[in-house]
Amino acid sequence: MANITIGVLCCHYTNQAGEEDFRGIPGEVILKRYPCSGHIEVADILKTFEEGAEAVLVAGCEKDRCHNLSGSLRAEKKVLGARKILEEIGLEPERVRFAFLPRLDTGPFMEEVRRTFETALNMKSKS
Amino acid sequence: MIIAERRPIPKVLKAIEPYERVLVLGCRGCVAVCSAGGDREVETMAAALRLARKLSGRPLKTGEATFIRQCDPEYLAPLKDMAREYEAVVSMACGVGVNLIADLFPEIRVYPGVDTTFYGANPALGEWQEKCRGCGDCILDVTGGLCPIARCAKNLLNGPCGGSQGGRCEIRPEVPCVWHQIYERLSARGELDRLMNFFPAKDWRPAGHGGPRERVREDLKMG
Amino acid sequence: MEPRSHLHRVLSEGHFAVTAEIGPPKSADGEVVRRKARILKGYVDAANITDCQTAIVRMSSIASAVLVMAEGVESVIQMTCRDRNRIGMQADLLGAAALGIRNLLCITGDHQKFGNHPEAKGVFDLDSIQLLAMVRGMRDEGKFLCGEELTGARPEFFLGAAANPFADPFEFRVKRLEKKIRAGAEFIQTQIVYNVERFRKFMEMARDLGLTEKAYILAGITPPKSFGMARYMKYFVPGLDVPDEILKRLKEAKDKREEGINIAVEIIQQVREIPGVAGVHIMAIEWEEAVPEIVKRAGLHPRPLEAEVRSPIAVEVEKPVERVEVLAPPSEKVPEEVPPKLEIPVEAVKEVFSTVRSSMEALREGINLLHDSLARLERALLGGEVVPEEVPEVPRLEVKVEEKPVAEEKPPVEEKPPIEEARPPAEEAKPEVKEEKPEPEAKKEEKVEARVEEKPEEKPEEVKPEEKPAPAPPAEGVELGGFSGEYRPLSERAAGLPEDLYKEPGTAFIREVEIGKGEKAFKVGGTNVLPFHLFEGEMRHEPRIAMEVLDVKPEGWPESLTRYFADVLDDPAAWAKKCVETYGAEAVCIYLMGTDPNYLNLDAKHAREVVEKVAEAVDVPLIVWGAGHAEKDVEVLREVAEVLGDRGAVIGPVEEANHRTIGATAMGYGLPVVASSPIDVNLAKQLNILLENVGVALDKILMDPSIGALGYGLEYTYSVMERIRLAALYAQDDKLQVPFICNVGREVWKTKEVGLPSDDLLGDQEVRGILMEAITSVALALAGGDLFIMRHPKAIELTRTIIRGLMQQN
Repeated sequence: MANITIGVLCCHYTNQAGEEDFRGIPGEVILKRYPCSGHIEVADILKTFEEGAEAVLVAGCEKDRCHNLSGSLRAEKKVLGARKILEEIGLEPERVRFAFLPRLDTGPFMEEVRRTFETALNMKSKS
Repeated sequence: MIIAERRPIPKVLKAIEPYERVLVLGCRGCVAVCSAGGDREVETMAAALRLARKLSGRPLKTGEATFIRQCDPEYLAPLKDMAREYEAVVSMACGVGVNLIADLFPEIRVYPGVDTTFYGANPALGEWQEKCRGCGDCILDVTGGLCPIARCAKNLLNGPCGGSQGGRCEIRPEVPCVWHQIYERLSARGELDRLMNFFPAKDWRPAGHGGPRERVREDLKMG
Repeated sequence: MEPRSHLHRVLSEGHFAVTAEIGPPKSADGEVVRRKARILKGYVDAANITDCQTAIVRMSSIASAVLVMAEGVESVIQMTCRDRNRIGMQADLLGAAALGIRNLLCITGDHQKFGNHPEAKGVFDLDSIQLLAMVRGMRDEGKFLCGEELTGARPEFFLGAAANPFADPFEFRVKRLEKKIRAGAEFIQTQIVYNVERFRKFMEMARDLGLTEKAYILAGITPPKSFGMARYMKYFVPGLDVPDEILKRLKEAKDKREEGINIAVEIIQQVREIPGVAGVHIMAIEWEEAVPEIVKRAGLHPRPLEAEVRSPIAVEVEKPVERVEVLAPPSEKVPEEVPPKLEIPVEAVKEVFSTVRSSMEALREGINLLHDSLARLERALLGGEVVPEEVPEVPRLEVKVEEKPVAEEKPPVEEKPPIEEARPPAEEAKPEVKEEKPEPEAKKEEKVEARVEEKPEEKPEEVKPEEKPAPAPPAEGVELGGFSGEYRPLSERAAGLPEDLYKEPGTAFIREVEIGKGEKAFKVGGTNVLPFHLFEGEMRHEPRIAMEVLDVKPEGWPESLTRYFADVLDDPAAWAKKCVETYGAEAVCIYLMGTDPNYLNLDAKHAREVVEKVAEAVDVPLIVWGAGHAEKDVEVLREVAEVLGDRGAVIGPVEEANHRTIGATAMGYGLPVVASSPIDVNLAKQLNILLENVGVALDKILMDPSIGALGYGLEYTYSVMERIRLAALYAQDDKLQVPFICNVGREVWKTKEVGLPSDDLLGDQEVRGILMEAITSVALALAGGDLFIMRHPKAIELTRTIIRGLMQQN
């Protein structure tokens, strides 16, 4: 099977995942950490696709736990913006997803990463 | 300010279809304030164009720059050299910017990256509303500061029409009937008699129906 | 002053004027206009011709006026400000005057958004008041708007304007009328009056300002052609006030058109009493035939003055005139006798009524047959010839039979024990029980059935005992007969009537949602008409029914329901299998009741296991319904979705509180969701929008309007669903163009009535429950329901049979 790449753009505080954790993912992960998910722009998401990701996960802190108050809420909206553009250029909007995650809890984070990988897998097999 | 909206990517792609090197040029004036053509949107547009072209197998090289304004020749001057490296320019400024580039640099192929929509205000984050149509002969003095030319779907000057219901316009229920608002405003001020005056047919020449409009201030002109 | 026109003369001499509206055709067929003019001739003082009304392109008002005048009827032309600038308007008005047109109504015009060219550039160079002033200047001062002199003949128009007493702000409406009169209006046509009280108040204010002295005010009158039209006007036409009383009258009327004419006549009589009302303007939209009748009944016929209308040059086309003579030779001599030839509509209308009556009878018979079949089915199911484990139940049943021997051994004669509670879905159909065969078991409870009134002309000989069996369900399952009687397609019955008289398909389609995957998958939605209006549009998919199973053994279900599942109630998988294999279920809904934190609070793992087992046991599409606890459902449905990813199962309910999370889960697995909102149009719409915002496509949503069972708010649900569907189909509300899912079984089987014992007053317990469930479902199918979740196998079969019958037309 062809190698599958996914992108993970996340708030630094959503997880403590290390190389170890990603070993379970049977593909390549482009990981970009930000001091807050509110800092992630639509362009960052698009660029991650440009770098070869089949699907992208944007992860931010739970709604009321963002230390910048509304960073993750903004990030969620940016994902909608990115979806619109993906659709316009003929990519499935589901390729990018957003997840609100508990702070510094790697378990749920990795669960979302795995789901994103499944999405990528689906997309790849469809095309 | 002038409000604009990102042009659908497929339309921009079609315009730049033949080219491999394109400059995406933003403007820090109105379009930056209304989040349509500032630095951030330039970055997004460029990334989207590259991604789409990559997917279609014909990769695109983009340059990104944003000028302070695109409606003044002095700010546009650097474009002359900058554009040499590119086959085309996608301007994220309002239509004025695109026109001025086309006027000043006939050799540059310039294409619009936004659709210019109206003159509006920004009453809330992510929301813009038309408030003025630049009709050149202001009547706000008699309508309580609310413009029926810009805000009434039928541009009525002797409104409200029969479609006004519960203060809403029949066009779309979320649109307030501006004539109802004018009525209430003047009524509260005890100035309803103003509305009883017949508003004669409007002279539409200052609104642009007399050809492209120009403004000249002799006291400022040099040479 | 010499009157400017015939209409002006009628009014100035103090007669109560009558004008009527003519809507020109959407074609170049002048005969349409002439025919309408002939209908009105002798009944109106002038015919008023609309100018592309509601912004739909039609033959021009001026050209139509010329055709109307050729029939000897005076015309009033309308001119809107929407389509012409001041140059075009003045030019057209000079031309109209030159053609002999003498009356002009100046209006701003409906916005182009409402018409068939919403992309058009609306001109609105002037507004109606400026237009009035402009024409008055041309006429009285001989000046064009620009001030230039108009030398030669001036356009001598009798000038009119429109007024809407029902728009807002109310207080300013009279003021604006005054403005129009000051600008030159000599007569006024008002918006359609239904709310006479409000109109009276308006007239009072107008009198106070002395306006009735300065202009002739004609009250707008429209006979409502149907309940639907009146309701549409009430809810969707801005600036139109239709009191509930009018709706009620139409709703209850047997002959809607007759009632519509009555209403119009009454309103004319009422407004005539209001001081200052100088006449009426009748707008019988696409129903000009009604005008002569209304005028006659209102006592306004014959008209006081005869119009001398000179037909403008060259329009006297020979052909059509000759045809008139052929059709109506007698009307030449006695003009006031009969309106010029209504022959086609009257005949056709009569025929429609008679066929409606006969199809009603057929329906009634069909329902009778259903009852018979229900009896036979009872026998087949419980009489011993079925699954062995049900045998023990038989004795119990037989006891029952003996307990209430309602009927003697009378063969096929009608039995009429009236039972109030068990009314059939449609009031018009008055089913009566017929004993089919004198078999001992068959006569038990099936003779319940309601009778509403005496119907002596019942024809029992038309009942065919051997009706066609319903096609689909497996033999050993529940089976009922279909409808009997012949269906004559509407196109045949309405032959001769123009189609647009009775067809009004929606402007959009309800989305199609795919339920399940693979061979057994089906779609719901995909309609552009009100339910079962197959004659005017498409219903691509029939309403479907899913059978409900619970994750835990149900408590408190009446025995009349549990006996069908007694052997499987504690095994969801076996239960589902029985639903499919024995009762022919097309889909299964698993209700995870046990996970409810307020009940057993079973965990997500339990849910997963149940769903896994059921999914393995049956291959039909699945619906998984959580406990309805916003937080718990998130957890449970996420777990379940993993199991169901490849089944395309529907999951829900999604509420506003958990739409993001469940929406995301559903999207991740490509599953449709049930969007539940509490019986409210706006909340339903809002939830759809929210779901769409998080990325759930509209064709992955089923709306659950939260239904009420019969006797428990069914009518409220009905009306909300109906409004949603009307908005979706006729008001382009694309966020509501989503199919409905109705969770009927749960609501019905928790009511008190299904559990009360059999007695004389309430009748048999089981039949009561079956009918309550079936009636609830059928009623909601008529409101637009697309997918039903039900429990009782017989109620399901009954519902299915009726739906199938309704789908069989054409």
